[in-house]
Amino acid sequence: MTAFNLNEDQQDCLQELINVAMGQASDQLARYLNTFVHLKVPSIEQVSTTSLSNSLNQEQQSVAVVSQGFLGYEGIRGEALLVYQHKDSDCIGNILGYEPDELSVEEQLIDLSSILTTTFLNVFAQQIDNQMSYNAPRLLSRGQDALAVYLQQLSFNCDMALKVKITYQVTDYSFNCDMILLIPESAITHIKAVIDRILADY
Amino acid sequence: MTSSVLICDDSNMARKQVVRSLPPHWQVRVQTAKNGIEALEIMRNQAVDVLFLDLTMPELDGLGVLQKIKEEGINCSVFVISADVQPAMQARVLELGATAFLRKPVEADVLMDELQVHGFL
Repeated sequence: MTAFNLNEDQQDCLQELINVAMGQASDQLARYLNTFVHLKVPSIEQVSTTSLSNSLNQEQQSVAVVSQGFLGYEGIRGEALLVYQHKDSDCIGNILGYEPDELSVEEQLIDLSSILTTTFLNVFAQQIDNQMSYNAPRLLSRGQDALAVYLQQLSFNCDMALKVKITYQVTDYSFNCDMILLIPESAITHIKAVIDRILADY
Repeated sequence: MTSSVLICDDSNMARKQVVRSLPPHWQVRVQTAKNGIEALEIMRNQAVDVLFLDLTMPELDGLGVLQKIKEEGINCSVFVISADVQPAMQARVLELGATAFLRKPVEADVLMDELQVHGFL
């Protein structure tokens, strides 16, 4: 599906901007964990926010999600969700090399999420001559209802959003996490304008 | 002497970006390929002096292309241009025989320096 009617060139441009940002975020993660992060081609699609909370809920009841809102100039904003499997969030202390009880799992997840989110968004912003500010990251409680309620309450409360999903696979530790960017309908037109400006240069 | 250049990337924008970053005084004939399979087809049929190669691509990715170039003994200098800048990835492509690793989006002066270092200018 073409996301919010992005034409082929616009989709290609957005994909490239995301690839570059994803590459730098995975580089940060790789250096932080001293390992290699395997990257897949990210997916970009249009979703309804109701279907999103359903799909997140269906995946597993024990998922851990860290959410961080972002806001740039020119009406660009959204929410970055870092989604961890339960089994991965429990072994994260080992991966990060913490002693037991040194830092809670929650704090570790928030640390890791911040690295990925801020690196990704800073590089994305740089490429479009923008600058992002962030809300404090929040660990969402693990209950199913809590996640659905949270998604419904997101600051930009909207029916449709552009969903960008990036999977970071740390094969050495068989640890995966998904970064899901949700860009509300109202911000898409602004992103399109920025993309058109970039494309006009080519 | 005119050099034969091939740019392989699945993104149209990325291909254009490389084209416009080429040194203006470098005499080249430029061809493009959308994936590794297309690139190899071109290289099997004609001599290519320099290949600018992306890594993450459908069909056949950049690592696959490097492997094939090695296996088939194709004579060509490969400049990998990738968004995946992890040190382990850079080491991997150089090990597979790439001439240089450049980070995406490539900048004209960086590209010029690398081409100079490797004797193309």
